[in-house]
Amino acid sequence: MKRRLFFMLVTCLIFSANTVFANTPVKGGSLIVCQPAEPPGLDPTGNTAAAIDRVVFSNIFEGLIKVNSKGEFIPGLATRWEVSPCGKIYTFYLRKGVKFHNGESFNAHVAKWNIERAKDSKTTNPHPEYFRGVVKIDMPDDYTLRLTLNEVDALFIAHMSEGDAIMLPMKGYEDTKSNPIGTGPFKFVKWARGDRVEMVRFDGYWNPELPYLDKVTFKFIGDPSAQIAALKAGDIDVIGYIAAPESAMEMSRDKRFKVFSGTTTGEVIMSTNNKAKPFDNKLVRQAMAYAIDRQAVVDLVMFGYGTPIGSHWSPSTPYYVDLTGKFSYNPKKAEELLKEAGYPNGFEATIKLPAIYSYSRRAGEVIADMLSKVGIKLKIEIVEWGQWIERIFKKKEYQLTMIGHVEAWDIGIYANPEYYFQYDSQRFRDAYATALKAPNEDEKARWFGQCQEIIADDAVNGYMFSAPSLPVMKTSVMGWWENYPTIALDCTQVWWKK
Amino acid sequence: MEKIDCIFLRQPVSDRLPLFKGMAYYLIKKFITLLILLFLVSITVYSVLFLLPGDPAQIILGINATPETLENLRSELGLNKSFWHQYADWMINLISGRGNRSINYDMPVYELIVSRLSVTGPLALMAILFAVAISIPLGVYAARHQNKKGDLGVMFFTQLGLATPEFWLGILLILLFSVHWGIFSAGGFPGWSVDFWGSVKSLLLPSFALGVIRASILTRLTRSSMLDVLCEDYVRTARAKGLKERTVIYVHALRNALIPVLTILGLQLGQLMAGAIIIENVYYLPGLGRLVFQAIGQRDLPVVREVVLFMAVAVVVVNFIVDLIYASIDPRMRLQKM
Repeated sequence: MKRRLFFMLVTCLIFSANTVFANTPVKGGSLIVCQPAEPPGLDPTGNTAAAIDRVVFSNIFEGLIKVNSKGEFIPGLATRWEVSPCGKIYTFYLRKGVKFHNGESFNAHVAKWNIERAKDSKTTNPHPEYFRGVVKIDMPDDYTLRLTLNEVDALFIAHMSEGDAIMLPMKGYEDTKSNPIGTGPFKFVKWARGDRVEMVRFDGYWNPELPYLDKVTFKFIGDPSAQIAALKAGDIDVIGYIAAPESAMEMSRDKRFKVFSGTTTGEVIMSTNNKAKPFDNKLVRQAMAYAIDRQAVVDLVMFGYGTPIGSHWSPSTPYYVDLTGKFSYNPKKAEELLKEAGYPNGFEATIKLPAIYSYSRRAGEVIADMLSKVGIKLKIEIVEWGQWIERIFKKKEYQLTMIGHVEAWDIGIYANPEYYFQYDSQRFRDAYATALKAPNEDEKARWFGQCQEIIADDAVNGYMFSAPSLPVMKTSVMGWWENYPTIALDCTQVWWKK
Repeated sequence: MEKIDCIFLRQPVSDRLPLFKGMAYYLIKKFITLLILLFLVSITVYSVLFLLPGDPAQIILGINATPETLENLRSELGLNKSFWHQYADWMINLISGRGNRSINYDMPVYELIVSRLSVTGPLALMAILFAVAISIPLGVYAARHQNKKGDLGVMFFTQLGLATPEFWLGILLILLFSVHWGIFSAGGFPGWSVDFWGSVKSLLLPSFALGVIRASILTRLTRSSMLDVLCEDYVRTARAKGLKERTVIYVHALRNALIPVLTILGLQLGQLMAGAIIIENVYYLPGLGRLVFQAIGQRDLPVVREVVLFMAVAVVVVNFIVDLIYASIDPRMRLQKM
């Protein structure tokens, strides 16, 4: 008995030692990541394309604040920051000894210059409004930056952690689009146009422990079946961010690979033109909300990956309120509401679906079928992306469409009646303005919650699901992100299990 | 008959001189046609892209961009100027050799085209080589065994080839050679200067997929054309005079039978140069087809314009070369007034 106990103890020890050993990151190795879309240039401050941020943000470039995989704001180039009690003055304490890849030093002067560049009147930063609130920039010393805002901005820290707020060097910034220079853990090597971007470990990184990998290559493979074939043939190690849901299913059964199913900042919605008949009638929009079975949409469109949502807010973003119960699937109720709205026999409408997004086309077909059951006949029209931008987004020539909104913290678009939803609600605008000025966490949670609830009540758009992240990789790739609270494929802490 | 043939070829020197004159005249005419064509293509491409819905600035900056940023980018890209002003800017840049820059790739478009051509060019040539190597022997074989088992077999496979989409064959080849046997990579292109043989290898599967599909048409064409020629008098004469069957088939008959085949081959090569878009996507090759496909989606208009212009030139040049080959295959064509 004693011997047996001893034997068990030893086995336990060996096993636990083994797991500890196996979970300690090992340095070295190179990783090939597949990213479906090739970025249009490598400058996150000149273009909003998510493909740019996915390649360079957090790998080559960093801002004052970073976001970790749990969605928490963690120190980046600022080691800590303070907000004054009035909520308008932010003091950032900058990291000392940080070098750019070209040898330039990072300090408060550089940070000030970057913020001024972003808010300049000639800026091509897609979001100058993030920085416009800054009315005064002080530098008490070389490593302290004090920003004074004209009013309280509850999203200021969130915005400062996005790709639009990266820090560029004052001398080497002109060629950022083709030769990016940042402070990140990886140094840009080359961009073979049409094929790949290569980056190697930056030895002068401010955290000497990181990164673990020696080299990271982003390869651009658009075709979903080609991605899977490349992974199976060993040409790539990771399909970053999202694989086609139908192949994710197949790959999860293969022992050589692992599939993560996490959350992202994206919401897939059936955008509705609130000024077009009959969708200007709230009852009609609510009837549609009742007629859609969101879980079935997720099952049919995304093969079960993804989370149903009830408003324009992703479950991975703080202050999320679960509103999926507000209009739970109820076709009877939908028919009643349609009758009340004056459409006892339903009506006909057109849904325009962008050709480039397969999830959108599939979801459109599924929803056309669901709505037909309550008498709403949808005609499906597939449109090219440029056409979508021009006709639907700019000229608002549409009734319904289906699209994913990928940016986090973007509920503010509902406060703009000119936006393509054409939603005009003073109640929402007031709630959003209050939320932006909320001085503390409780107030933020309360008012951002209110915002989510108002648009859910008004059924402004059809809220479908939060887009899943479905990275697929070899089983020995460790430290890859499961959830994407920010738009980046951060390879800083990724390592190879030997 | 052979004697007549010889007389036919042996012309007096004085008669040959106009031939060279004719050739020069022909070349000049072709060149002028090319210039006019290019001008028309450039105007057409420019106006079509000008009228194309989809504001490039909005596509670049995304749907959440502020109006002010959009305006800044539009003026930076010169999108606020009039149609003719923009066209003139473009033309001046093109002719002066300064070149236009790609919006997304941030480099001169001609450099992009040259680098992409180093993939698409060899890919197209290899595909044509595969097509010729497969189709000509098969076509000749089928013609010689008309309506026998072998012919029926060849016809069956060409029918299958005609019905097969090339991307499907491409995926099938990947599954077999890359995923199952692991002897080829599933796609990608290492680059000629990095790894020459690796680059050749990476083009083998896609060019084979392209070649096999094209070989189906060419085999059928070779067969029918060969059948026509084999009924001609001079073939009977050649046989009657006791030439070996090989000589009759390969020297006398095939040479004449190749003319219609060559026409189609030229069209196919032009088409392949203009980009094997789908195959380049399946094998993620950085070729011309994928470049223009991506550029249209992202409204990288300088790239789209110049690639389309280049494709027009490529088709014209390929046809011109085909004309020259006609002349070398068929002596009668040299005599015709060109």
